[in-house]
Amino acid sequence: MLRLAFPLVSHLPRRKPASVRPRPPPARRYASSSSATTASFSPPPSPLLPPLPPASAYVHLPFCRKRCHYCDFPIVALGSSSASSHGGGEAAEDPRIVDYVRLLLREVSATRPVSDDGVPLETVFFGGGTPSLVPPRLVATVLDALRDRFGLSACPEVSIEMDPGTFDAARLRELVGVGVNRVSLGVQAFQEDLLRACGRAHGLKEVYEAVGIVTACEGLQNWSMDLISSLPNQTEEMWEESLRCTVDARPTHVSVYDLQIEQGTKFGQMYAPGVFPLPSDIESANFYKIASKRLSEAGYNHYEISSYCKPGYECKHNLTYWQNRPFYAFGLGSASYINGVRYSRPRRTKEYAEWVQKLEDGTWSHESRSSDMKDMALDVVMLSLRTAWGLDLQSFSKSFGKSLTLSLCNTFKPFVESGLVIAMDMDRRALPHVDFELDLQNEDDFGRRVAFIRLSDPDGFLLSNELISLAFGIISP
Amino acid sequence: MATATASGLAVLAPRPLLPAPGRRRQAPALGCGPSRPRGLYSAPRGRVLCLAAPAPAAPSTTDAGQDRLQKVPISNIRNFCIIAHIDHGKSTLADKLLELTGTVQKREMKEQFLDNMDLERERGITIKLQAARMRYVMNNEPYCLNLIDTPGHVDFSYEVSRSLAACEGALLVVDASQGVEAQTLANVYLALENNLEIIPVLNKIDLPGAEPDRVAQEIEEIIGLDCRDAVRCSAKEGIGITEILDALVTKIPPPKDTAKDPLRALIFDSYYDPYRGVIVYFRVIDGSIKKGDKICFMANGKEYVADEIGVLSPNQMQVDELYAGEVGYLSASIRSVADARVGDTITHYSKKADHALPGYSQATPMVFCGLFPIDADQFEELREALEKLQLNDAALKFEPESSSAMGFGFRCGFLGLLHMEIVQERLEREYNLNLIITAPSVVYRVNCADGETVECSNPSLLPEPGKRRSIEEPYVKIEMLTPKDYIGSIMELAQDRRGEFKEMNFITESRAKLIYELPLAEMVGDFFDQLKSRSKGYASMEYSLIGYRESQLVKLDIQINGDPVEALSTIVHRDKAYAVGRALTHKLKELIPRQMFRVPIQACIGTKVIASEALSAIRKDVLSKCYGGDITRKKKLLKKQAEGKKRMKAIGRVDVPQEAFMAVLKLEKEVL
Repeated sequence: MLRLAFPLVSHLPRRKPASVRPRPPPARRYASSSSATTASFSPPPSPLLPPLPPASAYVHLPFCRKRCHYCDFPIVALGSSSASSHGGGEAAEDPRIVDYVRLLLREVSATRPVSDDGVPLETVFFGGGTPSLVPPRLVATVLDALRDRFGLSACPEVSIEMDPGTFDAARLRELVGVGVNRVSLGVQAFQEDLLRACGRAHGLKEVYEAVGIVTACEGLQNWSMDLISSLPNQTEEMWEESLRCTVDARPTHVSVYDLQIEQGTKFGQMYAPGVFPLPSDIESANFYKIASKRLSEAGYNHYEISSYCKPGYECKHNLTYWQNRPFYAFGLGSASYINGVRYSRPRRTKEYAEWVQKLEDGTWSHESRSSDMKDMALDVVMLSLRTAWGLDLQSFSKSFGKSLTLSLCNTFKPFVESGLVIAMDMDRRALPHVDFELDLQNEDDFGRRVAFIRLSDPDGFLLSNELISLAFGIISP
Repeated sequence: MATATASGLAVLAPRPLLPAPGRRRQAPALGCGPSRPRGLYSAPRGRVLCLAAPAPAAPSTTDAGQDRLQKVPISNIRNFCIIAHIDHGKSTLADKLLELTGTVQKREMKEQFLDNMDLERERGITIKLQAARMRYVMNNEPYCLNLIDTPGHVDFSYEVSRSLAACEGALLVVDASQGVEAQTLANVYLALENNLEIIPVLNKIDLPGAEPDRVAQEIEEIIGLDCRDAVRCSAKEGIGITEILDALVTKIPPPKDTAKDPLRALIFDSYYDPYRGVIVYFRVIDGSIKKGDKICFMANGKEYVADEIGVLSPNQMQVDELYAGEVGYLSASIRSVADARVGDTITHYSKKADHALPGYSQATPMVFCGLFPIDADQFEELREALEKLQLNDAALKFEPESSSAMGFGFRCGFLGLLHMEIVQERLEREYNLNLIITAPSVVYRVNCADGETVECSNPSLLPEPGKRRSIEEPYVKIEMLTPKDYIGSIMELAQDRRGEFKEMNFITESRAKLIYELPLAEMVGDFFDQLKSRSKGYASMEYSLIGYRESQLVKLDIQINGDPVEALSTIVHRDKAYAVGRALTHKLKELIPRQMFRVPIQACIGTKVIASEALSAIRKDVLSKCYGGDITRKKKLLKKQAEGKKRMKAIGRVDVPQEAFMAVLKLEKEVL
């Protein structure tokens, strides 16, 4: 039953909408938490409601052995001599990490909770960098600080990104011991050559070891395998192999990122997108489609452009982002979204330290930029259309007006017809495009049948930038 | 300087935006890129030698200047113009004449001369002197010499003919090394038609390559002028200038003494002055005109009071009265040059002449194009700029036009290509407008099935195929002079442009004259550029309209994703439709970004597709990357993408960048 929820909307035969009537109505919906027995989440809040206090926190742990060739994140490369890997005791802790965590703790305690009613954190995400390089003891101190400051719910989702070769079974056990219950394993590829070509600090052997450790770890059921597609010299066979190995490892979640060539990275200097040895647009689109196909076949829901999960195993933390809900963020270069304001911290350690000092002194405050409705609408559209859930037209209409909603739908009309966009009713059943058009024709009645629009999987997702920027043009002409 | 006429000077004489006191005219604003060929596009004109000071207290009003105002008997008046090909030295010669007669002081002269040279170098054109009254004493007898300048370009041949009609004689200046050029020929013939006494002058005899004997022979052979007494001069070196002045006095007949007759004055030029209204330049043919006279323009019937009259020397100098044979200016609070059209006759309101002077004609635009602001917000500015230009350019016609691809703009009519370029250039330079210019088109005559004849210059307004019986297009007779080495490739060019060979003759051993008749539409593109490039710059040309002929013309439509793009429709000859269609669809495919779906690009005649390309669909445009909740960068990218789409024009569902239209329109100019 549960497994039907996604395939229903994602595997529509495109040109035969009439035959799409789903037989059993989906039991669990992405909108509702009521019927879910396993992990589930609440519907996106209406932007008109008073802002919720954040129930999520992102913590940036920027340390890496070295910078991967594609990476443009704010990181601190420790070098291979770092003692901070496998099970190093306190004596072996890298002073740079210790100092940084101290700074992080200062930021946490200098941050005022948004609500006094003590809404506890439901999710914490340790991202990086390579957070697995940070000794579990220090991770624990951060979790403790968060608990002290904001409270943690009874069973929060606590995720940590880990790279092969940076941890052993003991270290993972330790992390689970201090409260980590979800691991995001940065495997990226199952080919030695590709790993090397990306400048990864680990090889294939470490990948298998890491998968073994994670799957064997008691108390850890929820883990994600992270892959990158469209790597230089990657072939379709290699990609199929990586997906096969992934499915075989039985993670509850898979993230598939498409390589983006960023300026200022080593890849940015070496390669031009779409030009050999990078795959062409056609090949790269094909990789995306293959992933969608193979992972769906293996029972994963494609619930967001780059995220797949076994039913109920969505990354709750990331859903905070897609649903445009607020979240705290701590650490170098991290971005928070509090009281309707997004703020990105300085990306360099020195500036970040100065900023923390100001925060403590009370001499720093958010620019009280009144949230522009237009910007809010852009955020909602851009984030929700990344998900299989799609855009809730009723709530969008309530917040931003019916005429804007109608314009949006009109803009998407040809794409509903061509199958890049899917219109759905209240029960998340796909509607034939003629029904969508009929609904649109009668403005007063609009919304009687159409309740959601989403991008189709994989074709709509593949063109999401085009489709979302079309919507941007309507919202902000 | 004044602008002449409707178009001639009108277009060349920019309206000063902030006229400085004492400067009536600003430097010419017409510019030319390096690619602008000289010749056809560069009107050979005299220079502004003196930027006029307010009359009557001109700085050069010395004793000599006052002398110039003194009346001489009509038998001592000589009215003449200079006919020359561009670069053959007309301006330099005019300067020298003014200098030698003391009309302009030598010191003053140099400065002006240099100034103008710089301007010319920078902008690539010469502007018109207009008219200058000189005093010359020969055998102790004072003479009044009036130099009336003429625009040299065929676009303005009507204005030329009116200037010539104001003279009794002309200096034919020919470069002693270059020989006679096509444009010179055309103007000489005009002068002969007006019964002018022509004095051949061989210029630049100081140059090493000068062959005055050969060129003299050429003039005799081609034009049939007796060149035994041709003056050999070097305007630059000041050689032979006195001889020219003497020849003017001795050879050119004085005007007829008709001062007793009712007033008839021929308008040969006018320009718009923002403070005084239109300044009209005229030659008194019969009678006399006094300051304060109530006058009437015979063609348009409008009446004015001549608030100010004067002479040009070359500054405006007020006088009280002008008699038959004299040349001068007047101002009478006239609001637009269209009200003082070149060729019109000025007469007295109370004592009208029986007949107007012959030769008047309305300005008839021959070439049309659409002008669209790139930034839609500039539409009003464009309208205002066109209105301002029109104050000074009676030949400029425009009406609003809207196009699905390019929004709102104007369809504008011009006398010819040079006129069109000048207007475009001025709009862009002086009014800071960024324009899209559609391919120039001509006026077609459509004979409809119901017997009606419709004139049509806009392809999108062409009657449906079912409703038309035939289409006629304007034809020109084109005369090209070329060194014999290039005959082959020039004939090929003319043939390519649907030219019909008429005749070829060798005017000298090494140079030939080719005559073709071809559709004007084939000439409005890059014909002249081609002529120049195929002859390494040596060939020259001249054309005149010879009427309409029926042609196998079709309307070629472009469809993008099945939607017709009006702005890209063209009227082409059936035989060329395939080539043009292929070139256009190919170019569009290069320029239109890929869309989320496959986009067919087709060229069609009616419903028949004659060329087709297809743009494949975008496969992938997705940002799937882990970015820890930091959506700002992604949002920025999407905004930029949305911004990019906004700059495009939607043709149905397809976003077409402005540049694609521009490139295709440019291509149309090339391939049509």
